[in-house]
Amino acid sequence: MDRMACVNLPVFPVQLLLRKHPGWQSHPVAVVDSDRPQGTILWVNERARSCKILPGMRYAAGLALAASLHAAVVAKKEIDSAVRSLSAGLRSFSPRVEPATAEPGVFWIDASGLERLHGSLNRWARRIRSDMYRAGFLATVVVGFDRFGTYALAKTRPGILVLEEPEEERLAAQGVPLDRLALEPATRDVLTKLGIKTVGQLIDLPSEGIVKRFGRKAHRLHHLASGQLRLPLQAEKPQPLPKQRRILDHPENDTARLMVVIERLLHPLLKKLTEQAHALSEVQIRLRFERLGDHMEKIRPAAPTLDGRQLLELIRLRFETVRELPDGVVEVVLLGRSVPDTPEQHRLLGPRPKRDLAAANRALARVRAELGEGAVVRARLHEGHLPEGRFIWEPLDTLPAPKFRNVDTGRLIRRIYARPIPLQPRQRQEPDGWILLGLEQGPVVREFGPYIVSGGWWNRLVHREYYFAETREGDFLWMYYDRGRRLWFLQGRVE
Amino acid sequence: MSDYVPLWCKSNFSFLEGASHPEELVEACVALGLERMALTDRDGLYGVVEAHVKARDLGVRLILGSEISIEDGSTLVLLAMNRKGYVNLCRLVTIGRRRCDKGKSEVGWKEVCAHADNIIGLWGGDRSLLVGKAEPFFVSHKLRDAFGDRLYGLVTRHRRAEEVRQEARLRHRAERYRLPLVAGVEVLYHKPARRRVQDVVTCIRHRAKLVEAGRFTKPNGEHALKSPHSFAKLFEDDPAAVARTLEIAERCTFSLDHLRYRYPSESLPDGSTSFHWLRQLTIAGARERYGGRIPPDVVQQLEKELDLIDELDYCGYFLTIWEIVRFCRRNEIICQGRGSAANSAVCYCLGITAVDPVRMGLLFERFLSRERAEPPDIDLDIEHDRREEVIQHVYAKYGRDHAAMVANFIRYRPRSAVREVGKVLGIPETALDRLAKLQPYYGGVHEEPFAQAGLDLEQPVHQHVLRLANEILDFPRHLSIHSGGFLLGHEPVSTLVPIENAAMPQRTVIQWDKECLEKLGLFKVDLLGLGALRQLHLGFDLLEEHYRKSYSMATIPKEDPSTFDMICKADTVGVFQIESRAQMAMLPRLQPQTYYDLVIEVSIVRPGPITGGMVHPYLRRRAGLEPVVYPHPSLEPVLKKTLGVPLFQEQVIRLAMVAADYTPGEADQLRRDMAAWRRSGRIERHRERLVRRMTAKGIEPEFAERVFEQIRGFGEYGFPESHAASFALIAYATAWLKRYYPEVFACALLNAQPMGFYSPATIIDDAKRHGVEVRPVDVQQSDWDCILEPASKGPYRFAVRMGLRYVKNLGKGQWERIEWARKEQSFDSAEDFVERTRLNDSAVTQLAEAGALSCFNCSRRGALWQVKGLARAPRPSLTLKQKEKNPEFETLELFETIGWDYRTTGHSARGHPLAPLRERLRDLNLPDAKSLSRMRDGQRVRYAGMAICRQRPGTASGVVFMTLEDETGFVNLVVWSRVFEKYGLLLKTSSFLGVSGRLQKKDDVVHLVAERFWDPQPQLGVKPASGGSRDFH
Repeated sequence: MDRMACVNLPVFPVQLLLRKHPGWQSHPVAVVDSDRPQGTILWVNERARSCKILPGMRYAAGLALAASLHAAVVAKKEIDSAVRSLSAGLRSFSPRVEPATAEPGVFWIDASGLERLHGSLNRWARRIRSDMYRAGFLATVVVGFDRFGTYALAKTRPGILVLEEPEEERLAAQGVPLDRLALEPATRDVLTKLGIKTVGQLIDLPSEGIVKRFGRKAHRLHHLASGQLRLPLQAEKPQPLPKQRRILDHPENDTARLMVVIERLLHPLLKKLTEQAHALSEVQIRLRFERLGDHMEKIRPAAPTLDGRQLLELIRLRFETVRELPDGVVEVVLLGRSVPDTPEQHRLLGPRPKRDLAAANRALARVRAELGEGAVVRARLHEGHLPEGRFIWEPLDTLPAPKFRNVDTGRLIRRIYARPIPLQPRQRQEPDGWILLGLEQGPVVREFGPYIVSGGWWNRLVHREYYFAETREGDFLWMYYDRGRRLWFLQGRVE
Repeated sequence: MSDYVPLWCKSNFSFLEGASHPEELVEACVALGLERMALTDRDGLYGVVEAHVKARDLGVRLILGSEISIEDGSTLVLLAMNRKGYVNLCRLVTIGRRRCDKGKSEVGWKEVCAHADNIIGLWGGDRSLLVGKAEPFFVSHKLRDAFGDRLYGLVTRHRRAEEVRQEARLRHRAERYRLPLVAGVEVLYHKPARRRVQDVVTCIRHRAKLVEAGRFTKPNGEHALKSPHSFAKLFEDDPAAVARTLEIAERCTFSLDHLRYRYPSESLPDGSTSFHWLRQLTIAGARERYGGRIPPDVVQQLEKELDLIDELDYCGYFLTIWEIVRFCRRNEIICQGRGSAANSAVCYCLGITAVDPVRMGLLFERFLSRERAEPPDIDLDIEHDRREEVIQHVYAKYGRDHAAMVANFIRYRPRSAVREVGKVLGIPETALDRLAKLQPYYGGVHEEPFAQAGLDLEQPVHQHVLRLANEILDFPRHLSIHSGGFLLGHEPVSTLVPIENAAMPQRTVIQWDKECLEKLGLFKVDLLGLGALRQLHLGFDLLEEHYRKSYSMATIPKEDPSTFDMICKADTVGVFQIESRAQMAMLPRLQPQTYYDLVIEVSIVRPGPITGGMVHPYLRRRAGLEPVVYPHPSLEPVLKKTLGVPLFQEQVIRLAMVAADYTPGEADQLRRDMAAWRRSGRIERHRERLVRRMTAKGIEPEFAERVFEQIRGFGEYGFPESHAASFALIAYATAWLKRYYPEVFACALLNAQPMGFYSPATIIDDAKRHGVEVRPVDVQQSDWDCILEPASKGPYRFAVRMGLRYVKNLGKGQWERIEWARKEQSFDSAEDFVERTRLNDSAVTQLAEAGALSCFNCSRRGALWQVKGLARAPRPSLTLKQKEKNPEFETLELFETIGWDYRTTGHSARGHPLAPLRERLRDLNLPDAKSLSRMRDGQRVRYAGMAICRQRPGTASGVVFMTLEDETGFVNLVVWSRVFEKYGLLLKTSSFLGVSGRLQKKDDVVHLVAERFWDPQPQLGVKPASGGSRDFH
């Protein structure tokens, strides 16, 4: 008979939260959907549950029940990423793992035949649990026969449970309290009011009555619990990235020769993608050095492509910057990220714009390839008071089509230094005047200011007194006195 | 003469922009040596009265103005030169405010020009068109034409680089449009240290966090009030612009002292003057009051009062109140004057008040006096459900131009301050919620709750929250509406103060609160809602309907001994004014036997007599345990009524006059200082004078000190005798109703909710303890309100049927659907009910859970199952329905049934939550309240009950008084502050409490002095339902 196990990491998002805030362990803790008093509680730990704080309540209502209730939001992204990582970990215990889509922290695993590999299913389950513990999570493992049975029992019992007979599983599952299962809070509340507190009581209710009153989700649960619906394990099938690998006979230090190896790997990769009707959006080049270990470079074309020449050119640009490799490469792996390819033919019929944006994007991709991922950025205006806070650099992936805009440029242009340049402290006696940038610039003949920018008191108090200073040579300098640090800095120049 | 005048100052009445109180700005002026300043709050004159009073006290000349928001997004600062200018300014602000939703204002340039007479315009600042990129050609010429030489270009400097270009533009344009330039700084706080507060309030206004605020906040701290030296230095290149601030200040001569207010004249019968008409009405009323023959002392009093009213020209005011009372009578709305108006025989004869001041020996001068020259203040209590009708009548009668409601400024208190400051500083809102709930309602923001809420005060961000939340305490946050104050004016009210829209539809509100009006001596008509009057009205209607007996406040039997017996036993749950725990504890000691005893009862449980140590001497003298002696023979007439112990505010004033030889002026000052004591501490200056003069007269220094302490206590919480007399009337009427018709009393009280001291659950339990049959909600029987039905058991003819208004989340509209369907034909099943009412899922579910469908012979769980299916189902088709088989559900136990009742209706007609647990409680050696009251004094006891009330009076030095309840009655707890601190969390968060302590019994008053609290839930394994606790501070 097929065996199935359910691994439950109780209130998984709360466990994630407690890993971030270990000091909260001794308090009632809840994960909320938004950080405000009216935020809805999504998950709670046992301490909160013992204070009658239940998912579905408002945070403020929970707080009324336990004044020490601690809560925070755990982002879905964070949960998904943790689920993915755990899922990958569990695959080392069984090739077939199914993470629950609606309930993070629940995994079903195919346990058939594994007792022969691990000695017994109990030992196998213990290993899973220990592995989870090492990863910082508490887990319950129930090995049984049925998806719902193992799930329901895993939601109630701590530790490990290995069931020997399906009947044993069925009977045990019937005693599981409903408030442990992922029921809609509204459904759960009404069922509790009706005195329906266990799975056994739930399955005694008429099936059509359930769907009428509580909707399809509750109906599905009812079907699963009553055994009318048996779903086989739907194991995750992780799609491996298309990959080409070559182990080199001799460590390779020369980039030109390495390029030849890469080219030989790239063509089969592209061929494989062509067969899948995909185009390459990113290629990862993993190099294993003889002594230095692994290193990875990412190359992104301007647009998903199957053009080998374009890709090779970008790879070449990246490697051109390194004339000689620091160590001999012993293995090269090419991994491709791809997207479904879209037919390009219809574009040929359309009017050609005067400015070829695609060409521009290709050029930027070349810059990126040559100088690194962060090389192409654009400035965006930002609401701040400090000069360096009035804009931010943001990565530019693709160049947008230009729009005509009337920009009122002042007559003077201020250029800002990436980092303010410290100036010599002012002397008490300045017989030759205030000399800022050496004698050749001459002393300051005129200054304007101070213009004060101060703030940030909630974090680090900043108080700068800005001046525009004209030197004898006619340079306009933009500088400030930092009152906190008692130092002068050159912020930029005026042209 | 100061070297400059700050002409653009915004206080914290520029809501969430300014960061200093108006008084602080004025005080800072004095400290900096500035003789004048202008207050120019954004689109309003909210803070001018506070600033005016402070400026008058400190000798600063205040210029009034406002920063006006224009519809194009720009601003213009306007200053009133004289009375006419002030009127124009008020009108302009009113136009802007009335046009927009609450909190916003916009006027057009055309309107600005139309109101430019006698106003000086200062055009400049960041958001002004004069510094903008676009050339304001048309606007400039329009303004120049309207303002003439009263329009100035305002050069502002805040040490910002951008200002250089803006100033260049402004100077260029000023030259072009021939505008003289004046120097200025946009003052947002009185000292640089307030810059942080300004940043915080700005973020609150923009709903931004400080780290994300960007350029919402000011770039630097250059918006403080500047000294003449630093201002001159800032504008050293343009001394003429600085000098022009003085020139402008010279041109602005208006002061709020110039306001001339006239009360609106009432329409009079042909040929009558206001005085004649008032006199005629008073005499007619007196004849009615005294049965045709007016006693000579009353005539004498009336003549005296009428003469003074005429002399002070207050006839119109009295006629207005009379007219409002007449409107109420005509529309069968119960109303009654309260407060010092009850000192007036004229008010009594006009039917405004119900207490005969001549018979009671009340002091008319407390109400109105020539020396005080203060407008009379008549507060009219109106049954709360119908107050809106009276308010709309006043609007309709005087028009919205001549009548507007008085404002109430919502200010920051510890909880709101912590929440908003914390949010701005980026603290998670969930943590803030926890912190805020641990802070007190009033007073300061305390450190201790931070640790309790898990916030480390070592962290700078939490220190910022603590400091800044304390700094913004008492800052006005926004404008609200006073509970019932009206300002009426002969001239349009908008010529006195701007009017704006309130959030509530159909309401307009002035920009001043009641303290502002008092300070300026303006007339206010207070129309206050009082639940007890509504309760009496409903009670009288029920008596008429069910007992065929017609009663009113005036016709219920007076001085009924049986009613007073009930009062003496402290059986006063729901009785107006004497139902609180403290009042109940006092009643068996005071043993009120007459109406006047009730007046004393109402007054004695107040902070004034308590802090003055007057309560016990009075009780001892009353009980004959100590002789009635007077500290000085001259005080006998003053204190005779209260056995030589001052209990009323009037007595304290007269005592000062008689014993300390206070002149009427000094006495009046004392009265004012008493009222203002909490804010300014001015009362202290009377201590030495009072004690010295009293001691000189031979009065014991100890007594003199006690009198002074009482004066302090009276500051805010003392009752004048007249006020207590009015309230005692209502208290007696409600007590009488409770004594003879408890079912009527309970039904009326339940229908008048929300009001009073106790929750509906407690009122119902009390009624049941009195033998009243209370029936649960039922869709076949219940109305929206509670009704009386013939009783099947108990000593009373009628039972109370709970109304569907008590079913939570059931709206009146839904009730109307039930009523409509039921009128057609009564329901024959739950299906029929759901089908014909078509109520939504939540409503029918709630009704099923409340047991309102039990009439269809199904259990609550069965009903819930049924309606859940029915409400979600589509409308029935014509095809034959297949009847669904209902599953069997476990029957609810009584404890669960009561729990369901409480959850769905907040009460239970079926029992008290602790009744089903009594056996188990007894097994745990926990007695009920009744047994506990029979135990001996000093006995150690353990008790468990439901918390229904928590009180921490300011006069009790941190002692908390709690009332616990079970099915047999109440247990009053005294919780010393150290015990409260130890068990605070449990006490604040748990409704079912266990307490161990020592019993204290005296004069039939039982208190349990708590020593330890515990949670009885783990021992019982269940949590009883709670009707909620009413907590007071």
